[in-house]
Amino acid sequence: MAKEKTIRVKVNGAERRATVEVRRNLADFLREDLELTGTHLGCEHGVCGACTVLVDGEAVRSCLMLAVQAEGHEITTVEGLTTPDGDPGPLQQAFWDNHGMQCGFCTPGMICAAAALLRENPHPTAAEVRERLSGNLCRCTGYQDIVASVLAAAEGK
Amino acid sequence: MSAFAAIGKSARRVEGREKVTGTATYVADVHPRGAACARLVLSPYAHARIKSVDVSAALKVPGVIGAFSGKDIGGAEILAIDEVFFAGEAVAVVVGEDEAAAEDGADAVQVDYEPLPVVSDPIAAMKPDSPLTRASKGESHDDAGAHGAAVGGAGTGRPKPRNVNQMVEFQRGDLAKGFAEADVVLEDTYRIARVHQGYMETQGSVAERAPSGGFTVWTTTQAAFGARDATAKFLGIEAHEVNVIPTQVGGGFGGKFVLVEPLAAALARRVRRPVRVILDRTQDFLVSHPAPGAIIRMKMGARKDGTLTALEAELVFDSGCAPGAPVGIAALLLGGTYRCPNLDLVGYEVLTHQVDPGAYRAPGAPQGYYALECHMSRLADAVGMDPLEFRLKNAVKEGDIRPDGRPWTRIGLIECLEAARAHPMWRNRKKLGPDEGVGIAVGGWGGGTEPATGGCRVNPDGSLTVQVGSVDITGVNTTFALIAAEVFGLPVEKVQIATNDTDHAPYAGASGGSKTTYTVGAAVLAAAQEARTQVLEMAADRLEAAASDLDIADGRVFVKGAPNRGVTIGELARLANRFGSRYKPLHGQGRAAVHTASPGFAVQLCQAKVDRATGMPHLTGYVAVQDVGRALNPAEVIGQIRGGAVQGIGRALFEAMEHDEGGQLANATLADYAMPTSADIPDIDVVLVEVPSELGPFGAKGVGEPPAVPGAAAVVNAVEAAVGVRVLNVPIKPEAILNGLEEGGTR
Amino acid sequence: MKAAAFDYEAPASLEEALALLQARSDDAKILAGGQSLMPMLNMRLARPALIVDINRLPGLDYIRVADGQLRIGALARHTAVAKHPEVVRGWPVLAEAAAQIGHDAIRNRGTVAGSLAHSDPTAEHPAVLAALDGEVVARSAKGERTLKADELFLGYLTTALRADELLTEVRLPVLPPHTGSTFVEFAPRVGDFAVVGIAAAVTLGGDGAWQDVRLALTGVGGTPFRARQAESALKGTRPKAADIAAAAAQVAEAIEPDSDIKASARYRRQLARTLTERALTTAAERAAGQGGR
Ligand SMILES: Cc1cc2nc3c(=O)[nH]c(=O)nc-3n(C[C@H](O)[C@H](O)[C@H](O)COP(=O)(O)OP(=O)(O)OC[C@H]3O[C@@H](n4cnc5c(N)ncnc54)[C@H](O)[C@@H]3O)c2cc1C
Ligand code: FES
Ligand code: FES
Repeated sequence: MAKEKTIRVKVNGAERRATVEVRRNLADFLREDLELTGTHLGCEHGVCGACTVLVDGEAVRSCLMLAVQAEGHEITTVEGLTTPDGDPGPLQQAFWDNHGMQCGFCTPGMICAAAALLRENPHPTAAEVRERLSGNLCRCTGYQDIVASVLAAAEGK
Repeated sequence: MSAFAAIGKSARRVEGREKVTGTATYVADVHPRGAACARLVLSPYAHARIKSVDVSAALKVPGVIGAFSGKDIGGAEILAIDEVFFAGEAVAVVVGEDEAAAEDGADAVQVDYEPLPVVSDPIAAMKPDSPLTRASKGESHDDAGAHGAAVGGAGTGRPKPRNVNQMVEFQRGDLAKGFAEADVVLEDTYRIARVHQGYMETQGSVAERAPSGGFTVWTTTQAAFGARDATAKFLGIEAHEVNVIPTQVGGGFGGKFVLVEPLAAALARRVRRPVRVILDRTQDFLVSHPAPGAIIRMKMGARKDGTLTALEAELVFDSGCAPGAPVGIAALLLGGTYRCPNLDLVGYEVLTHQVDPGAYRAPGAPQGYYALECHMSRLADAVGMDPLEFRLKNAVKEGDIRPDGRPWTRIGLIECLEAARAHPMWRNRKKLGPDEGVGIAVGGWGGGTEPATGGCRVNPDGSLTVQVGSVDITGVNTTFALIAAEVFGLPVEKVQIATNDTDHAPYAGASGGSKTTYTVGAAVLAAAQEARTQVLEMAADRLEAAASDLDIADGRVFVKGAPNRGVTIGELARLANRFGSRYKPLHGQGRAAVHTASPGFAVQLCQAKVDRATGMPHLTGYVAVQDVGRALNPAEVIGQIRGGAVQGIGRALFEAMEHDEGGQLANATLADYAMPTSADIPDIDVVLVEVPSELGPFGAKGVGEPPAVPGAAAVVNAVEAAVGVRVLNVPIKPEAILNGLEEGGTR
Repeated sequence: MKAAAFDYEAPASLEEALALLQARSDDAKILAGGQSLMPMLNMRLARPALIVDINRLPGLDYIRVADGQLRIGALARHTAVAKHPEVVRGWPVLAEAAAQIGHDAIRNRGTVAGSLAHSDPTAEHPAVLAALDGEVVARSAKGERTLKADELFLGYLTTALRADELLTEVRLPVLPPHTGSTFVEFAPRVGDFAVVGIAAAVTLGGDGAWQDVRLALTGVGGTPFRARQAESALKGTRPKAADIAAAAAQVAEAIEPDSDIKASARYRRQLARTLTERALTTAAERAAGQGGR
């Protein structure tokens, strides 16, 4: 009784067309159907933030959205924040250079959330970064180097 | 201090590119062609007899490929057969075309249980009329042991209460005399909750039958070889028939040794397809092995001048349904951190109807130090001494005897305390505003050892490839690159690290217990040194000079004093790799079996302000001082320390696995199991103290465990400094502080 | 943690949506922001046979002032409400409530209407609706009705909305001049559901005395608690710390909270008292300050 629907979604700039079960969430669609496994699942109930992607530029939990709801929208995942050649984009580079990750599991969601934050507030303070990224859990870093990474990216470092 | 080329300079992660671009492979990203997905069926009862498991309805669900009970799979260690001993124990498994289909099938499995009496609290379990637990099974998870510190102690004939699997005892001197000599005696009982490692990536494994008939297992483990052996044992095959490919580990902290690897392989055999067993968050909370909660009664005596005279402690560790609680480690550290002539420590490992605990960052130490460090601050108060000076006066140093009769090796506890004393947060602690205060706590870890091998290949492009069999969970690969780079005087970018699968890797033990840099690093150092010797010998032949007259710099070997006479490392490797060459390939092997551990100590200062309206403490500053021996990669060492400190803070403020009387876990989601967020945590100032180890590479000591130890007591002591309310149980309930504020007294 | 199977429809018009809800009133569920429903689907705590996704309904994301009311369409998200200049100016209590819900990514999807329809006992918006005597518009294929807070909220996750009804609009009255309002809550971590929260709006008369006081608490029972006794005790007097404290104590007395894993009943009472005190103080300051509201 697989109830399916064919959808068209723009993902990281490219039109994608796929037939998906309607119950499939956006995260599973990205990971399983499009093989964009940079989007991680840490809880599937909206708390950890590892699955954060950008939908029309806004941070969204991809585990709390159905794939069929993405029809006609533009999705950006961590893979879409690289340079055109697939090398780290500026924000990603800042995370790398500033030790903004350890195990790396929270990193894609963290980077997407940070991208949305910087789009809205290009020069946040450290306190603002802490507050605005508080929906993304990281168990490894103690957050400080993540904050430093975002601030460095904001300064274009 | 000698100058290093690479060591001691912060290097960014060697695997950073893949992690920031989203291309790193974690276990859930592994999808062999034709892979099916498995879903566990878990017991809702903490103790019950399984009357029947009926999978027939599941098999009719569309997309379901197979459904199995414990009897079908054969092996109660992965699926219960006749009886369940904790709520969440797996009783059946369903394999489907995808996760959703497997879950549809799991919903349809019918299990008939006969509920049996439950005891989920260790104190209740020790009562003579308590229901009995699986006291006799006798198998333990070796994880805590794999973390390495000594366990033991001699018995004194104390009776063993009901449901107690193991008792540890340490005695010294004459306790009664010690208390008689004391000017102040303080006694109280502290509780610290059962907590989860909280890694962001849930556990999982993917298994596939190999063409040879063996199995390939991709898994998120800290111990590839351990996972291999366990899987082979379960399947009844030889270890070499299993190849474990360790994936990136999305956080382990001691929690990821072996869990579903054997099941994944068994299922792959049964359904003849690759099988993915990826736990969801709730299942992970229920079936994985968390850190045990503990109840610790402390009684200490001190003289007015601050000398400790007696220490009595009774430690009760909730070991869940199987032995393995690190009560021995806890007792050893609790009784071994301060000099005290008269000791009596007894630890009980109590069995209950809960999942059995595993390792979590310094297993046993956070519990033991929580009680010790709360008590030390209060005792300092009682004798009218500054809490830091009181600790300094009694702190152990090299040569002091631990409760197990062995001497401490070179440790930096005193140096850490002195560094804390010099820190502005400590110096200015009396100048804070109302309701704000600074607490101090010490934590330590004995360190671990395990033999390891490493390889170092010299490449024709002048680079090095370091081969290891250890899994990188803390940035150790970057450290290995620094070690090899240091030996060759090369930039760190010239070193690649290959973490190989168990078919190809040089042997290494589990990554855990703060021993990976210490032991595998030693092997890598030896391998790089051997490769360097080979390079020098070959260059000596080429340059017609004695090897001892040669030096290496900038990727080139040259004659000392005649820098023009030289040859690049790349040229040598090319020559050695050439068809018909008379030179042997340049490849160093290193082996290490360091078997004396280098203990590490940490001191943390917490500055907290209590909101009088809600009772909630807010951290306004934090300092983490740690003796790291030598910081090979300072940025990553600092990152380890911050991450560990936040886990300690989590124990203080939020974290507890809450069970009801029936043994049900009440908070098996990340919404209900609260971990610190970026907004809860202040900047953490890390102060590195370097008291080099005599044994670790370049003086390094393990750094992963100690920072996770002092946090709980540091926060609780800060609360008392802020508003005078003493909290006894963590996580702190703001309610308890509020009540304390209203009524005065301790909580 | 994957949802059980369901049918899915994303109607393009309200009529179509209402028709679907009428036809499938026994087993359909509305999907708005999904920030409460999706976790429940993933955990299989909800197993509807049909999901009616209302996100494609046109023109329902409005936030506007009309006929003396603030009107919020069913698809207005928490983020939009929290940042809307008119809301920030005229209904700080609502803007602050919306801003304290979850985190950015939650607020970007979750809706005010969905929060009211969900009726979580610790959610912010139900208390705002109750405090301001707002109402919601419920539409079905058969017609339309409006419900006040005490009519809408029946208990833990239960409302008077019928299965064929769609909550199309939330209406809050324009607050009179010299009104100050605020939303104050306690949650151990930023973004967590509140343990206890309070919506307060107070209006000061020309004489500086309390003319109108509105207090509603969340987290102290299955539905928002309107503290009417404390409200009337204050009215007519001039703001004084002692009276505020007495009113707060009265609130703590009047509520009947339960104990659960997050907090004991006793602690909830303590929080209700201190938060009421804070909320009243802030609201009164705002009312007395420039611009009133
Ligand atoms: C991590 C996390 C933290 C959160 N923190 C908070 C918090 O602090 N405070 C808080 O209040 N909430 C919190 N939420 C929930 C969030 O506010 C939701 O947005 C809100 O509760 C529901 O709104 P929704 O639009 O997402 O509704 P949905 O999830 O789509 O629906 C919720 C329920 O309401 C029904 N429904 C929705 N819209 C309508 C409608 N127009 N007419 C009739 N029925 C409707 C649905 O059928 C469903 O039963 C949190 C959620 C998450 C995941
Ligand atoms: S997986 Fe979506 S928030 Fe955790
Ligand atoms: S780096 Fe491991 S969870 Fe953030």
